[in-house]
Amino acid sequence: MHTYELVYILQADLDEATLNGLAETVENLIKNANGEIIKVDRWGKRRLAYPIRKLTEGYYVFVSFKLDPAEVANLRRTLGYNEQILRSIVVRAE
Amino acid sequence: MSDYKSNGGGDRRHYVSKPKFCQFCADKNLAIDYKNVELMTRFVNETGKIRPRRQTGTCAKHQREVAKAIKNARHIALIPFEGDIWYDQNA
Repeated sequence: MHTYELVYILQADLDEATLNGLAETVENLIKNANGEIIKVDRWGKRRLAYPIRKLTEGYYVFVSFKLDPAEVANLRRTLGYNEQILRSIVVRAE
Repeated sequence: MSDYKSNGGGDRRHYVSKPKFCQFCADKNLAIDYKNVELMTRFVNETGKIRPRRQTGTCAKHQREVAKAIKNARHIALIPFEGDIWYDQNA
């Protein structure tokens, strides 16, 4: 188990319920892979430094978690499949 | 010590006074973090390029980390790949 950090960007125009649902989906991805969530921090709506899929705003969510290294590639791939996630990044926390 | 280069092709390079110490070596609490937008913007120039060591004074080890962090920050659209950073604080 290693400690990782995840930042993902959701479409900013989604309503509260959808945002919560998506956030939960992501957390479940980690939990179902026997991961452990340490901290979730919602940065909220931010202006993107450059447009992504012609959108200028995104809803940022930060997650700190523990996960088996073998599961990380899987997590990255699954995040990429989700249409509502504009971008995501998973890095080792030092 | 000067970064002013006199080469045959003319002096196009501007002189930038360089800090004498690597600020990350001097301050161990200053973490290189791709999420720290304010810090990342200090290491890119106005066109969005990563500033060289000769301008920022960063040591080789920390420059590598800074470069990596900038690339991460670009990926999640915290800083642009090119062009100015447009600040707008309504978040």
